[in-house]
Amino acid sequence: MAFATLRTPKVLRRPKGPKPRRRTELGLMVGVGVIVAIMYTLMVLGSTAKVPTDVGPLLVVLFLLAATAHIANRVLVPDAHPVVLPLAFLLNGIGYTMIVRIDLATHGNYASLQAIWTAVGVAAYIVTLTVVRRSRDLDRYRYLLLAIGIGLLVMPMVPGIGVDIGGARLWVHIGRLQFQPVELGEILLCLFFASYFIERRELLSIPTARVGDRLVVDPRPLIPIALAWVFAIGVIGLEDDIGFAALLFAVFVVMLWVATGRSMYLLVGLVGFAVAAIAAGFLFRQTNIRVEAWLDPWKYAETSGYQLVQSWFALGSGGLGGVGLGLGQAWRIPNALDDFIFVVIGEEMGLLGSTVVVVAFLLLVGAGMRIAQAARSQFAKLTATGLTVIIGLQAFIIIGGIVRLVPETGITLPFVSYGGSALLSNYILIALLMRISDEGGRTGPETETMHRTIGTEPDPASAPTSVLT
Amino acid sequence: MEKRIRRVGIFLVLCFVALFIQLNNIQVVKAHSLATNPANPRVTSVALDNPRGDIISANGVTLATSVPATSGPQRYQRVYPAATASLFANIVGFDSPVYGNYRGVEAEYNSYLTAHTVPATSLSSLFTNRTVEDNVTLTLNTKLQATMAAALEAVPGHPPAAAVAIDPSTGAILAMYSTPSFNPNPLVSPNIATEKAAYSALDPTSQSTPLIASAYQQAYAPGSTFKMVTSSAIYEHDPALAKITFPLQGCISLPDTNVPFCNYGYNTPQGPEHCGGNITILFPVSCDTGFGQLGMKLGPTSLYDEARAFGFDQKIPIDLPPAFVAVSNFPAPSTFVGNIPYLAYSAIGQGNVIASPLQMALVASGIANKGVIMKPHVMAEITSTQGKLVKSYTPTPWLRATTPAIAAKVTALMRSVVTNPIGTAYPVGFPAQDDVAAKTGTAQVGVHSQNTTEWMAAFAPASHPTVAIAVVVPNQPGSLTGESTSGPIALKLITSALADHL
Repeated sequence: MAFATLRTPKVLRRPKGPKPRRRTELGLMVGVGVIVAIMYTLMVLGSTAKVPTDVGPLLVVLFLLAATAHIANRVLVPDAHPVVLPLAFLLNGIGYTMIVRIDLATHGNYASLQAIWTAVGVAAYIVTLTVVRRSRDLDRYRYLLLAIGIGLLVMPMVPGIGVDIGGARLWVHIGRLQFQPVELGEILLCLFFASYFIERRELLSIPTARVGDRLVVDPRPLIPIALAWVFAIGVIGLEDDIGFAALLFAVFVVMLWVATGRSMYLLVGLVGFAVAAIAAGFLFRQTNIRVEAWLDPWKYAETSGYQLVQSWFALGSGGLGGVGLGLGQAWRIPNALDDFIFVVIGEEMGLLGSTVVVVAFLLLVGAGMRIAQAARSQFAKLTATGLTVIIGLQAFIIIGGIVRLVPETGITLPFVSYGGSALLSNYILIALLMRISDEGGRTGPETETMHRTIGTEPDPASAPTSVLT
Repeated sequence: MEKRIRRVGIFLVLCFVALFIQLNNIQVVKAHSLATNPANPRVTSVALDNPRGDIISANGVTLATSVPATSGPQRYQRVYPAATASLFANIVGFDSPVYGNYRGVEAEYNSYLTAHTVPATSLSSLFTNRTVEDNVTLTLNTKLQATMAAALEAVPGHPPAAAVAIDPSTGAILAMYSTPSFNPNPLVSPNIATEKAAYSALDPTSQSTPLIASAYQQAYAPGSTFKMVTSSAIYEHDPALAKITFPLQGCISLPDTNVPFCNYGYNTPQGPEHCGGNITILFPVSCDTGFGQLGMKLGPTSLYDEARAFGFDQKIPIDLPPAFVAVSNFPAPSTFVGNIPYLAYSAIGQGNVIASPLQMALVASGIANKGVIMKPHVMAEITSTQGKLVKSYTPTPWLRATTPAIAAKVTALMRSVVTNPIGTAYPVGFPAQDDVAAKTGTAQVGVHSQNTTEWMAAFAPASHPTVAIAVVVPNQPGSLTGESTSGPIALKLITSALADHL
């Protein structure tokens, strides 16, 4: 104990007994467990008119997973934000219930795999918390992360292991295992962006180059990152996955702006996005089809607009209170397991159910932003922001695609949609958030002088602006 | 950096708020139209797996119901109880698995009758199956409808005929029948061969198919019943014309033509002998010579405006599929330019003037209801299968055809048609206590005008009307008149309607 205290003073010197944040988390976890168990029972009752016999084992498994994750939090991140894990479990539980529902409607067998992947996800969550003991470790290995991230993005392109599913080449097939590496790749790229932007933020934000009689930001530090980014977008573009390309683009631009405070990046980003979107419309047939279906799904109700029109019929039939759990017609919803699982929720639980999902994501985003605000280092702040944007924007893009606020791009709903690799990367993502939150949540002054960046470092955006004039 | 992180957070919150708003739009605002959209596969699947709601008459007789099917792909089968099946076929319509559902109440109120999901109203209802079908109660009464049908079927030779009875103060259709009718049950048979045979037996493409409910889907020359409109136009646009006394004439000559314009039956003793005098004589005797001249003096615009005010040249907003509702026609003023004699014919409801029986019943009900024509309707209320009121009809005015004062004057004229011994409806023998106001019509049709379409429009009691009717028996041999053919039908209808009301 004395030895440990010497190495990292104050960090391990914690009061005995559970922290209040973990007590809150425990309460929320119990609540989530009750909600999911009731939902599951009602759903099976609704679709088979029998009380499920397996609700007992389900409760046990749910309890074990939740308890494991919660205990891991107590040990590994005792000061982290209390709502992140319960929200993830709530969304995961709603998603699992709906996957069982879709299985019952379509005689599929995806729920058991999803259950296994949930366990794997929770394991990955704990492993991530164990391995990444300090957020600055991530900062240190930035180029390794970049390399792995790019590697993950390229994987589906490799002949022999890449597979085309649903028009997009997003999947990797190794042996009997199938997964979608892009989501994990995106997290790693987010970490790299954060590290790179924080290190180069002066260069990226203070105008030093002269164009005519005006000073502008020297574009040269942007070159390597721009190359990395163009490469990533290009690869995803070739894989014909517009949703993730747009997401990566947005995360990149937002992080650059948050790091530097230069609105010009947002403007350039928006213009660049518009150009890329129009170009994609011409280059990729899939994009073109999706945009035409977005503009007028009713005109293409039998072809490209079919998914949207069927989704709206389901959502409309659900109305305010839904048709009832297990009483909907989930088999009529195309791609109900992945892109359109939200529609199954909206049909059976109505606006009330779909609002619960939206609000859960809203709370998750709120927690993420709070974690970013409270983070101890600039790198951690930017990382937390980027990770939160990934999860929030991903939810927005897919739900917004269904309700026609944006074109439908076929990405999964975090934690809810069926998919092992998605669950895995989502759990890793919140593990990183929890790690950052724990560092920020500790009381007492930080003594970690080895932090390269300290919270008191002046913000270049608020630095003396004399150079500008 | 904190400030910008907060801004990113606010931006994401706004994104989610937009999602929530749009979800409300889809799941609340547009929910009903999406849920009942015919392209929504849930609509047909729910319709196939669940019974349809009942259609019930005003006096509680079930006109249409669903029973578990004994064969075929559907779980339920539509049944129109035998006693009322053909009596109401043209009002109720039929929901055919093969030929669809386009006609009558079945089509008009399909979104209520067909099984649909209703929003939850309580917490416990969230967990139950909320698929319901609603029952539609009509304003039509089986007793009056049966009286009407029997009277129409009793016309010698069983010609096509039609009648309408309306409550003038609400616009409620009390009875509406057209001969010939048909039995809708074979048309909804789960046996497709039965269904096809029954349908082709109805000769659906011909003009005389029983599928056409002539009471509101056909228009005929209204003949002298149109003089209700012409008289109202005189009081409205040029009251001085009402004081003109015309000499007793059998025929008059019209400008620009050498075809004489004669009173109907001018060569018979009853016809022209009383046709001298002002409107109070011309109306009960139904003098064409006098009204022809009055029409020409009024001018095309006044007559056209009056006809329009009474509902001509527009779609009657009855709650039955609008595609089938006949539009009554009075020629546009421009068609009379350089063709003034034509106006004499139009003023007496001939020439190009045509009207559906429903239209003439509405004219009578407008005069009965102090000049206001109520929107005609067949639905009284819609209740859920649990007995909850879903929708009830609120009487609403359709047209303000004329003023109460003018309506009273025309009512006086129509009373004299019944009470004055020289009135054309006097021989019908309406009981004095029924206080009937009426107008007959005998429109000359056919190549040489040798056939006539027999009309009677009436309402009673004239002091406080509770029923307005129109009866038509088209294309009869020239020896008959509106009084002799349609009069007895009108008598039975009014007696029966008043007996039920009083």
